[in-house]
Amino acid sequence: MIFEINFKSGKPIYLQLVDQIKAAAASGAMRAGEALPSIRPLAEELRVNRNTVAKAYSELENLGVVETQPGRGCFLRGNNAALRKEVRRRLLIVEIDQALVQAHHLQVSRKELLELIHERMAALEEKRRANEDGKDA
Amino acid sequence: MKDSTAAIQIDELSYAYGQAEAVRKLSLTVRPGRCYGLFGRNGAGKTTTMKCLLNLLRPKSGQVSVFGIDPAKDEVAVKRRLAYVPDQVAFYPWMTIRETLDYLASFRKNWNVKTQRELLNRFRLEPAQRTGDLSKGQRTQVALIAAVCPETELLVLDEPTSGLDPIVRREFIETVIGAYQEGHPNSRTIFVSTHLISEFEGLIDEFTIMDSGRAVLTLEADEARERYRRIRARFAETPPKLEADGALSVRTEGREVEIVANGSTLAIAQRLRAQNPEAISTESLTLEEIFVATLKS
Repeated sequence: MIFEINFKSGKPIYLQLVDQIKAAAASGAMRAGEALPSIRPLAEELRVNRNTVAKAYSELENLGVVETQPGRGCFLRGNNAALRKEVRRRLLIVEIDQALVQAHHLQVSRKELLELIHERMAALEEKRRANEDGKDA
Repeated sequence: MKDSTAAIQIDELSYAYGQAEAVRKLSLTVRPGRCYGLFGRNGAGKTTTMKCLLNLLRPKSGQVSVFGIDPAKDEVAVKRRLAYVPDQVAFYPWMTIRETLDYLASFRKNWNVKTQRELLNRFRLEPAQRTGDLSKGQRTQVALIAAVCPETELLVLDEPTSGLDPIVRREFIETVIGAYQEGHPNSRTIFVSTHLISEFEGLIDEFTIMDSGRAVLTLEADEARERYRRIRARFAETPPKLEADGALSVRTEGREVEIVANGSTLAIAQRLRAQNPEAISTESLTLEEIFVATLKS
């Protein structure tokens, strides 16, 4: 997988790595049993401190996202559906919060916003149904 | 406070060349296993500080110690535990690269021959070439090989990448991360001075910004990026006059305001929001931007 470090995000670098791997696991970009890149080449490629990558990996291990097999490397664990749900929720929360902040700036009221969400969900459903109908035809 | 577990401990260090004060009451601590950046403009006192650590200069006042050892009292013991890449690399020009590395290895108890071979290949250096015929970048590469192979607990780098082309600079940093940091995490400490901060950004754990011989800011890199933020807001009309408490700088351009904040981002953003902006965003400053903002304010 390809990582991206953003020094302007204000988020500690090791946490950026942790979140990106969690996101890859939740979205299916990484599958159970797949190996994480080795620490040294990844650190070299991103030009970040080795200890930073090692810290990210040990954090992921503590969270049960990956497991280290001595001498072989770090692998994504399977069967962490509960965690994946939690990760998925957290990813969504970030997006929702951004929308809420934006709504605040645009002076869209709470009621209006909730209505808008329902409206968009309906619109999306409509679109999906239309697609399926198209497939049937 | 003296900390014998520190890789480098500098207490109230002062040094002057004649009447010209180069370092004034500088204090800092580098813990083992860390990568510590010493940032400053040319002439800020970075090289003088490093020379005091190596006993190339004697402090006029204050103390320096490396692994608890005073370099002036036991220079050999200090030099055994560190490797140094100076800003101006000089070798005996009549020696070949191989002879130079053999010569330097003869002073070391430990020398990783495999690393030497790998790095000579990586840098595409011809061991039979005389060092006098090398480019500045190639001389720095040889110096880096000589600094990495002894696998010392401390690596001191003085402006290691200035004057080198971007490819060589990139390889230099990758080598420090890859070959040097390969060892036990707590026994690989890096102390690097540079004004090319963005290149070392990902490597730096903690840093001190020096100006005119003084430490003006010491922070953890992650904490610095969290504290120093740029807030941009756009208004429907000319922005209202804002109280600039806690702001490092405020710039207004048409309907937009840009504020650089140190630690009070939330309060400033709240004050901006109270003025009903059309849009507002924040981002962290990079270490280089923090450096510039600190020295300009």
